[in-house]
Amino acid sequence: MKTARIVERKPVPSEAILVHGMPDVGLVGVISVSHLVTELKLVEMGYVDSEALPPVAVLHEGLPHAPMRIFGNNNLVITISEMAIPANSVQLLMRTLLDWGQSKNPKLTVSISGMPIQNRQDIDKPKVFGVASNDTLLKLLEKKGVEILREGYMVGPQALILRYCAEKNLPAIALLAQSFLNYPDPEAAAAALQEFSNITGIKVDIAKLLEKGEEIRLRARDVMKRTQQEMTKMKKTQEYDLPLYV
Amino acid sequence: MENKRKRQSIFDLIREYVEELKELEEGWPPTEHPSWDPRACSLEPLCNIFVAVKEVIVTADLPYAQPSSIKVEPIDDDRLEITAEMKRKVKFEELGITHYKGEFSTFSCQTHIPVPVDMKNIKTSFKRGVLEIRLPRKSRHEIPIT
Repeated sequence: MKTARIVERKPVPSEAILVHGMPDVGLVGVISVSHLVTELKLVEMGYVDSEALPPVAVLHEGLPHAPMRIFGNNNLVITISEMAIPANSVQLLMRTLLDWGQSKNPKLTVSISGMPIQNRQDIDKPKVFGVASNDTLLKLLEKKGVEILREGYMVGPQALILRYCAEKNLPAIALLAQSFLNYPDPEAAAAALQEFSNITGIKVDIAKLLEKGEEIRLRARDVMKRTQQEMTKMKKTQEYDLPLYV
Repeated sequence: MENKRKRQSIFDLIREYVEELKELEEGWPPTEHPSWDPRACSLEPLCNIFVAVKEVIVTADLPYAQPSSIKVEPIDDDRLEITAEMKRKVKFEELGITHYKGEFSTFSCQTHIPVPVDMKNIKTSFKRGVLEIRLPRKSRHEIPIT
């Protein structure tokens, strides 16, 4: 049976805002939290160790790193995966992250991701939809002007994070920006980050993210390609389905 | 002790074996190749195909592409070639890679169209760095409903 564990290399603060950016639609989550790491100069605090992940080391400045890592400062902790998560490992890894997250008693858990839209080319400013783990947070999202995604299916890491948070009674929201399904979408990431700032009060300058849009799209091609393969296995297109309510 | 016994149970071994078989099946046939070709100074763009009722929609992500240089050419009845010049050359080093040498100035790929289409009536557009190609599907025989 495969296992996963969180290794903390620096003390991770409790009662912080916990943000998850996992590879998914348009890599919106990964691009967003990667920008948070750079802009807010977050430091590496730990990583996820699991035999459910492929045998990969990510090299930065000649040194090996785990592909799924934790960064943070005193009031913000983020998790990010620099490679596609195997579809059959998503449940184990998200459950492990959430169990660990619960031990840190986060003020709020935020998942940032994309929502595929077919005519994305025609949209100048992607709209950001919100979902939450409880009614109080839904009301907060509405108060902040975020449109609620009321009915439908969510598939992928952010779907499990939200479901597990609701199960554990942890305050959590997911911000889903309209994006390309299979192409890296920095504009959607910028829209999601604007909404993130609006809700949490954490200021993030998105100008550089938009400026480097084409470069990010070029760099993110291979991760997107592998993420696309895993999304197919997860039946990601179910998000387009009309829901059946019982 | 109980955990150890659980891990070694025959059912766990069978499940692991089935998972391994599934993983092997998913990786077959091995078609992976790099998305870049330094000899041709070319990058393979991300592409997608959507088969709708009346048309096939092919899209390709072309960051840094020079819009006027984009070419879409049918190679035969069921294959398209997409090429585009980039606005500027991009070196491996710019992407943080120092163990490969080379630079890229074009995008190039060939796409297989899975259903019969009319290659003479292709429509294209290029917005937000994404090329969209619409190919009308060849009309099929209609069966009269009586």
